[in-house]
Amino acid sequence: MTTYTKKQVTDLVKGELDWDSLHQMLSMPKDKERYGQYMEVLQEQVSWDDRILLPLGPHLFIVETGDNTLVTKCGCGHNFGDYRQNWKLNALVYVRDNETKMSEVYPKLMAPHTDWQVYREYYCPTCGTMHDVEAPTPWYPVIHDFQPNLKAFFDWLDMPAPANA
Amino acid sequence: MNQLSNPVEVMGIDAGGTMTDTFFVRADGEFVVGKAQSNINESQAVLESSTDALAHWGRSVEDVFPEMVTCVFSGTAMLNRVVGRKGLRTGLIVSKGFEDFHRMGRAIQSYLGYAFEDRIHLNTHRYDQPLVEIKDTRGVTERIDSQGNVVIPVRLHEAREAARELIEQGCKAIVISLLSSYLNGKHERDVRDVCLEVAREKGVDIPVFASVDYYPVRKESHRTNTTVLEAYAAEPSRATLGTLSDSLKDCGASFDLRVMASHGGTISWKAKELARSLVSGPIGGVIGAKFLGERLGYENIACSDIGGTSFDMALITKNNFAMHQDGDMARLVLSLPLVSMDTIGAGAGSFVRIDPYTNSIKLGPDSAGYRVGTCWPDGGVDTVSVTDCHIILGYLNPDNFLGGILNLDVERARQSIKTQIADPLGLSVEDAASGVIELLDLSLRQHLRAMITGKGYSPRDFVCFSYGGGGPVHAYGYTKGLGFKETIVPAWAAGFSAFGCATADFEYRYDKSVDIGITHESGEAEVEAAVGTLQAAWNELREKVLEEFRINGFTDDEVTLTPGYRMQYLGQLNDLEIDSPLAALSSADDWNELVQAFDDTYARVYASAARSPELGFGITGAILRGSVETKKPNIPEEPDAGPTPAPEASLGSRPFYYEKKWVEAKLYKMELLKPGNEIKGPAVIESDATTFVVPPGFETFLDVNRLFHLIER
Ligand SMILES: [Zn+2]
Repeated sequence: MTTYTKKQVTDLVKGELDWDSLHQMLSMPKDKERYGQYMEVLQEQVSWDDRILLPLGPHLFIVETGDNTLVTKCGCGHNFGDYRQNWKLNALVYVRDNETKMSEVYPKLMAPHTDWQVYREYYCPTCGTMHDVEAPTPWYPVIHDFQPNLKAFFDWLDMPAPANA
Repeated sequence: MNQLSNPVEVMGIDAGGTMTDTFFVRADGEFVVGKAQSNINESQAVLESSTDALAHWGRSVEDVFPEMVTCVFSGTAMLNRVVGRKGLRTGLIVSKGFEDFHRMGRAIQSYLGYAFEDRIHLNTHRYDQPLVEIKDTRGVTERIDSQGNVVIPVRLHEAREAARELIEQGCKAIVISLLSSYLNGKHERDVRDVCLEVAREKGVDIPVFASVDYYPVRKESHRTNTTVLEAYAAEPSRATLGTLSDSLKDCGASFDLRVMASHGGTISWKAKELARSLVSGPIGGVIGAKFLGERLGYENIACSDIGGTSFDMALITKNNFAMHQDGDMARLVLSLPLVSMDTIGAGAGSFVRIDPYTNSIKLGPDSAGYRVGTCWPDGGVDTVSVTDCHIILGYLNPDNFLGGILNLDVERARQSIKTQIADPLGLSVEDAASGVIELLDLSLRQHLRAMITGKGYSPRDFVCFSYGGGGPVHAYGYTKGLGFKETIVPAWAAGFSAFGCATADFEYRYDKSVDIGITHESGEAEVEAAVGTLQAAWNELREKVLEEFRINGFTDDEVTLTPGYRMQYLGQLNDLEIDSPLAALSSADDWNELVQAFDDTYARVYASAARSPELGFGITGAILRGSVETKKPNIPEEPDAGPTPAPEASLGSRPFYYEKKWVEAKLYKMELLKPGNEIKGPAVIESDATTFVVPPGFETFLDVNRLFHLIER
């Protein structure tokens, strides 16, 4: 089995890993240490100490806080609340629901008609990072993308699960 | 024999990335091999390698070159230039609106060259950087339809503007590839002339390549890639080969330097279509096997060559090898006819790992390549390779690996196999290592069997030729139980590809796509027209072939021309390449002869019962090959010296692990064995560049042509 250095995993996260190594990583069975290394690299990118359990996006994480509660957190430290609740409900939202707003992101006639589809952009209220964009029909409820079973996930990784998972 | 009656006649050059090998053959068939590092300039490496080789005969380069009659070059520089994207900056002119097709590439290019597992693993698919960047691509308004009619006349003022911009941007060559140009080349030629005119006006001397002048064949991506390679990769090689040719001449050479080409012939370094010499190494062995077969009476041959990273197989049936029309190389689809070969990515240097899910041994798909394995600490490899397993089991001699130029650490290899393979599987180091070798042999054997039976043949009708540096090590393993007539290992296995290149004809081949379809409902006039179309294509190609030979100073009457065509049953996907039974076509009656030749070939390649004449017949391509006589190496022939090897051929013995026990294998020096010598396994026959393994239960003898015959008892 192949193992990788922390530098390689860091480059992977940054999108700077050379293609040959990346290809090998994709082709070979996953090594046991990889998830731990990956979390370590992510942890070094943030300024706070809460333990990162699972990334939801490039700047959005499920973390375990000092008092063992599990919350969704922005890279800047903004707390979106309990990880079982949809973090989007605590985010700032910008809805592109007319042609003028659509024309800011797509050339004319290349965007959907907003009677049929709108874009909902979710931002961090503290740092303004865009964490997600939805493209639903206008009346559709806020989408809850992902509800991980952390206990099962950590068992599968063969790593100790967080206390409140 | 004195030197005058026994001159050195043939030279083969194999310029690899790390080593430049030269191969010299004397009139009596004796040969020597020389080596030099490639990391100096090409000419210098060839001269040093030649000096090294000729020292075996106590002769010098200046002494030998004037008496030589032929020299064939094959090298990896052009391929490396493509793979490393370090070619000549090239501008591309295409039909307006199609500027992006070159960088988009054909979907298959995203996984060409991949192992099977990765081909079905979409995440690994990836497009390489295009040869020509979009900023160096221009569209010109024009259109020719699929019948060759002009629909939109070409706007030459746009071509003029495009050429001006590309030259000003710094492009050093311009390639023109317009839609359907193979049916009507007028637009491309007009654009070409405009580009040349602009270059002249600007006082720059840059080559301009119109695809119709080189590869007038269907499939835009293939045709464009190939023409771009002509500028991007081949043009720089023209300069290095010119320098090499000059430096050979400075040493007294009077022969013309030739280059091995993908269609199986050799072409001059001055050839217009030089891109077809992009990949030539593995083809040499097939040409060599065909040559030996013709001389020694083997008409069906399974060729096998195992190198560090791959296993190459090819079939010769009735002294013919098959051609693949759209070869691919360096992950690019190309319009190059290519000697048909099957390659799998498992070789003597493949990495060995344990699959954590199945807990079984997994080979490759990557390999240690020139870094050998963990047994060579300086190579910087930490993962066990197949070579490591061979080293610790006594198959290979750690003190004479590649002629002893590397210092190998057997203990380090043993330790790596123990921790990475043996311990996790609960096996002894020996059993783990021999398990790896058995697995590789099994996998090679299955592929070899599949290649033969997949075409409807049986191994019983074939002799298997095994060559290359690694072939003779594995020959017993991948042929065991397959039932070949014989397994043959040439005593010059390591230099067999270079030898093969030297046996190739001086031959040019040009192809052109045609669209001909004739059913039993077609009338006489249609057949007449079809015959006329094919003959017109041959006429066009003949002019190109003769032109190539004129560049090399041959008159037209010295050239033997062989017209051919690609025919298929209408509606089928695959066509077959046929040598025309007629030198020229004049009437509708000739059509029947073309059809008959195809029917016969089809029955030979597939089966009589599979023939489908009721579908009608189509011709997809016209082919014209032209060749001139060249000097070929002689096959060595030595007197029979009896079954017992001379005492000086013996190198003692060493422990050898086979089928779960250590045995003592006798060791021999390959070069010192004589025809007639018989050797019973376990034995290992060593040479500087290859090792021939004869395990218990096998025996071998050397025949008068210095071919080892491996026999399973
Ligand atoms: Zn934030």
